[in-house]
Order: sequence, then C-alpha cells, then structure tokens
Amino acid sequence: MKSKRFQVLAERDVNKDGFVSEWPEVGLVAMNSPNDPTPSIKIANGKVVELDGVKREDFDMIDQFIADYAINLDSAEKVMAMDSLELAKMLVDVNVGREVIVELTTAMTPAKIVEVVSSMNVVEMMMALQKTRARKTPSNQCHVTNVKDHPVQIAADAAESAIRGFDEQETTVGIVRYAPFNALSLLVGAQVGRGGVLTQCAVEEATELLLGMRGLTAYAETVSVYGTEPVFVDGDDTPWSKAFLASAYASRGLKMRFTSGTGAEVQMGYAEGKSMLYLEAKCIYITKGAGVQGLQNGSISCIGVPGAVPSGIRAVLAENLITTMLDMEVASGNDQTFSHSPIRRTARTLMQMLPGTDFIFSGYSATPNYDNMFAGSNFDAEDYDDYNIIQRDLKVDGGLRPVLEEEVVKVRNKAARVLQGVFAELGLPEITDEEVEAATYAHGSKDMPNRNVVEDLKAAEEMMQKGITGVDVIKALSKRGFDDVAESLLNLMKQRVSGDYLHTSAILDKDFNVISAVNDVNDYKGPGTGYRMSDERWEEIKNIPNALRPEDIK
Amino acid sequence: MEINEKMIRQIIGDVLKDFQFGDKSETPKAVEVKGGELTITEKGIAGMGTKRDEVVIALAPAFGKFQTQTIVNIPHNEVLREIIAGIEEEGLSYRIIRVTKSSDVAFVAHEAAKLSGSGIGIGIQSKGTTVIHQKDLAPLSNLELFPQAPLLDLETFRAIGKNAAKYAKGESPNPVPVRNDQMARPKFQAKAALLHIKETEHVVLNSKSVELEVSFS
Repeated sequence: MKSKRFQVLAERDVNKDGFVSEWPEVGLVAMNSPNDPTPSIKIANGKVVELDGVKREDFDMIDQFIADYAINLDSAEKVMAMDSLELAKMLVDVNVGREVIVELTTAMTPAKIVEVVSSMNVVEMMMALQKTRARKTPSNQCHVTNVKDHPVQIAADAAESAIRGFDEQETTVGIVRYAPFNALSLLVGAQVGRGGVLTQCAVEEATELLLGMRGLTAYAETVSVYGTEPVFVDGDDTPWSKAFLASAYASRGLKMRFTSGTGAEVQMGYAEGKSMLYLEAKCIYITKGAGVQGLQNGSISCIGVPGAVPSGIRAVLAENLITTMLDMEVASGNDQTFSHSPIRRTARTLMQMLPGTDFIFSGYSATPNYDNMFAGSNFDAEDYDDYNIIQRDLKVDGGLRPVLEEEVVKVRNKAARVLQGVFAELGLPEITDEEVEAATYAHGSKDMPNRNVVEDLKAAEEMMQKGITGVDVIKALSKRGFDDVAESLLNLMKQRVSGDYLHTSAILDKDFNVISAVNDVNDYKGPGTGYRMSDERWEEIKNIPNALRPEDIK
Repeated sequence: MEINEKMIRQIIGDVLKDFQFGDKSETPKAVEVKGGELTITEKGIAGMGTKRDEVVIALAPAFGKFQTQTIVNIPHNEVLREIIAGIEEEGLSYRIIRVTKSSDVAFVAHEAAKLSGSGIGIGIQSKGTTVIHQKDLAPLSNLELFPQAPLLDLETFRAIGKNAAKYAKGESPNPVPVRNDQMARPKFQAKAALLHIKETEHVVLNSKSVELEVSFS
C-alpha cells in the first residue's frame, strides 16, 4: 500500500467492523428481497384464505396465526386497496393524527406494512415514529449485569441507574444457576434507587416465568418470537405456546412484552430467502396476534447481521416504527454492540433518540461493557456524560439525567447495605462489609472481591426450593429497618393485583402512579404538540456539573 | 457428619479412579493433542448409556465433516482431543455422537445429556459454541454455557471436559470462569451467521443421533 491516507484509514475503528455483501438466497438482505411476497389479502366468510400471496392450504403455523389473530379484518380489504405511497405520506403528515393512522395500519398485512414503510427515508420514518409511539413521554431501560454475577455490585448499579433516570432495568446471568440471586439483587437495588422502577431477569422461559411468579421480578421481556417456522421450533416454541406463556404472565398480573429482531432468522440458519425486515414484520404481527402489549425489537442480539448489510440500520428503525404502527409499546434496541466506531454507534442511536420511543434503549449498559453479560451494549456507563450532553445539545429527552458523584456514592452504599441485610435475614451467604465498601465505589467487577460461587449457587437453589417470594423479601427489609424500601417493594407487588400496569407502555413514577399509553396519550400533530419537555425537565438536562457558571468567574 | 460423608465420597472417588485406569499404568496427566487428522467412523444409531461414569459429547451436523475448524480457526481435532483429555483426567470415559436433527447447540447438548449414562452431556457446534447440559433441565437451560465462540481456546475446552466429568461424578465444581468480549459481536457475528447457515444445511429433521468412533492419527 503506497497511500499514507489509506494506511491511516485502514486502521480506523469502523474498518474493524464486519461487513458482507447482500446474499438474498439465504436472507442476507435488509429490505426489498426479490423473494419477499407481494401484499395481498383474500377474505371469505370472515376468514383469511390468502395472505400475501400464500393460500390457506399452504400456510405454515406463522401464516395461520397471523391470518387468524393479528389483522383487523373489518377494514383490511379497503386498506389493502389503498396506495402504499399515500399511506406513507399520511404517516409523515403532521396533520394526520395517530388515532387515524392506527385504524389503517392495524388492517394491513405484513407485506403491505413493509411496502408502506420501505418507501420512506429515515427522516420520514423518525417523523412517523414521533407520532405513532404509544406513550407520549419517552423513557429508557438499562442492563445491570456483571461478569462475576456479583449480587452486591448488581444492587449498587441498580440503585445508581434508578437515579440516573432508567424506568426499567434488566439483568441476566453468566451462570444460569445465579438467576435467583441476580433477580433479587436487581429488585432490591432498584427500589433503593427509586421506588417504582420495574425489573426483569432475562433467562430461559420457564425459569423466567417462575421468578416472576415468585415475585422476584416485576416484568418480563425476553419472551422470544421468530419469523420462520424452523427457527421458531429451534426456539422450542410455537406462536401458540408463546401466547400461552404471555397469558401465564397476565394471569399473575405481571407486565410483559415479546422480543424479536431483524437478522435472527439468518443467524439461526433458516431465513427462507426472505428479507430481514419482512421476517421481522411477521414477528411483530405474531406479537399483535397473541394480544401482547409490546415488543422489544431493533434487531437486538442479532444487530451484527443487519449491521453488516446495506440499509441495515434503516431496517432497524423501520421495525421499531412498524411495532408502533400496530399500536404496541416498543423497547427499541440500542442494546447490543455492533460497531467499534463511536461515530457509527451514535448514528444508530439517534434514529430512536431523536423521535423518542417508549424505551429508547431496551438495554443501555449501566456497567462498563466488559461487565455486560449480553455481550456488550451499544452505549455503556462510560458514555453517560456523552449521552447527557447530547440531550443538552439538541434539547432532546433521552430519559436520563446528569447526577453528582455524592448522590451516586450515597445510593450505591445504601443499596449494598440493604442487600447485605436482606441476605442475612434470608439466611443467604454473607455479604461482607468489604463487599459493601467495594460496591459503593466500584466502576466494574474488576473492583469487586470474589465470592464463593459454589456456595452462592447452592444457596440460590435452596432459596427456590424453599419457596422464597417477594413477600419474604418485604418482610426481610422491614425486619432489618429498611421500611422505605419495604414499602416500595410492597407497592410494586401490589401492581399485580391492580393490573393497571398491564396497559400498553406502562411505567411507574416515584409515587407509583401508572403512566401508560392509556393516560399519557401521544397526541403529536406537529410543532408545539405531543411531548414537549417541561421547564423542570429542561433545567435538569441543562444542569451538567462541569458547565462553567458566569457567577463562578471572579 | 457432613465432613465424614465428604471424606468418604472422596475416598470412594479416588478408589474408582484407580480402577478405571486398569489399562494405563500412570496417574492421568496432560494428554498431548497437537496435530494429527480426525477420522470419524459412524457406528450406527446412538443408544442410551449404561455406565454412570461417562460423559457424552455431541457434535453438531457439520463438525469435523463439512467444517473442520472453529470460528477462530482452531482445528476440530484439537478441540475434541482437549475435551476428551479433560474428561479422562477426571477418570471418566466418553462417547461421541453426532446429532443431525438440529443445529441448535442447546438441543444438540441436551441430546447428549439424555443419552448419557450420567445424564451429563456436552454439545459443540462447528463454530465452537459449546454447552454443558444435564438431562433433567429444560432444553434451552444448561449447567454451563459458552456463548462467545471466538473466546474459546484449547485451555477452555479442556476445562469444559473436566467440569462436565465433575458434574457427572456428582460434584459441584467451580464453573469455568466466565469470559466476555463486547467486541466479539461486531467482529464475528456476520461470520458466525455464515458458519451456522452452513452447519444448518446439514440438518435432517427428525433424524436419530449416530454413535461415532473417533481416532486421531
């Protein structure tokens, strides 16, 4: 190589990323595959007999589920006959309200909705998303994990994330058998940070349901659906069994959403030659058909796949948009590493951050990425100040707030001490003062002492066998003198009885009021309407600790 | 009481180890695994294990046959030899099967566990992703999971074999240390997708697993 410039370019972060050429036969194409079907619907006697070019006798289980449950058939024929470009224009048009849009979009077939969205550029998609998201106020979710599955670190990170502004928090495990401890630590730590934060523990389906039923989590998210039949089978389920699982959560009053994402079918080996976006549209429809209130998508763990092909990140925005067009909550990705380049990472995130979604990140890493047990998030704890400053630069509500070191240290310490008390009261392996001190000031698990893992795993198993529930945790908190946290956890568990947080896009504020698509309606219709930051919120975002104040200059 | 029971278990374990090494005169030490080619012979439908002191290793459809190295170019024969060495170091024996009804690593590993006399199985995909499974767990659960194939080196494969054998003996080993590289996905996901697509091409739905005889020349 003779060009010095090309030598420098070759060493850039972005050139460490993985890129592939389109290969439509195996589904390595983001949008507009030559194998994607033409939109069509034929209804006879109130039943769909042809869907997107496939006759009922040729339906696979996904086609059948969508045909029978996911489409509003009353206006389907009318909407399917409408010009897709006209429909796209209505989506972008500030004068056409969400309530009009949703009547039309819920009557489309998967191929139709994809056709409508495929005619839009990303600016148009963001304009539409601003209008079609279900809840007016945008929010954010974080990941709280670490490579040691260290409970005290989880509790401390959960408390810090809560005061930074996350309304939902998600943990997972390096070792499956740690799941009960991770769930418990996240639950307690989050309530210490702020009463009302919702917590989940992402593990195998039956385990996750059990933890929820025991009151060790407040919601579930990673209930996964897939766009082709063989991939669904490898996921050990069918749309019906997933719907059954959804109703199992509902029967216990627990909030939940499904998860899907572009690229999963390619990753798992059976894309049947269809485009990533078309297959993801089928997943979105499965979610709708199952009666589930929302969906985590935006490629999620397969982001490296659309990220490798042209228009992949545009397709990722499109899938978030389609979810909202079907009148569901969207937790819009941004939760998985796909690039070495900070520039590329930011471009990807702006697609959801600028218009706002129900959860802009479905997993911002609240720890440094080396501790992120989802194998790395698009943004991590070291990006906090960048994110807060982008909010300030652009006057955008990204769901987070700047915090002071003193308040973080204080809340981390409290969370660690509270968990220490809970562990002692429940007879779990000791949390030492050394661990409490370490968690208070830790950045990541490199700053934490090791625990006796075998002892922890044994205790976690016994805890489940003994039938410890969230109520036992409330009692333990109270016995150890942490009545405020006990009351928060009690209020959280009461939500299962009241059921209000089962509504679309529901979160809880610090007073345990439910804020959802039902009572926080997105009425966006152009400038001056929809979500506008309050003065208080704008002050909070403006007020970064390192801004020079004129009054300080002497 | 507990201490005595632990001691008794350990003594019995040690004695059993001596019995299993009837053919080999020395106590087990590191087995040489470098180089050599992998010869795989199919021996017919894989059956239920009758001995409790075995671990079953299940290979995904293309392993050692249509693909010969992991995602980071570690040869399959070396992977297998390390896992076997780990199992043998713990004094247990191994069987190798090929699962063809699925390319999903959890289902492959669960097949191994269900056919294993100890109920413990290991599943490996051609790209290197590995699971230690137990027959009574849900298929998508596991005892230990190694989801980041680019991080799996020979030392880790040996540790996986060892831990699987320890679980088979009813022990509670310290899990193999969890490793994480947040840039594995950006670097390798596209390649992983391609390798998995190529593995999945060899799936035969509803087929039975086949017992393998493996030799290293």
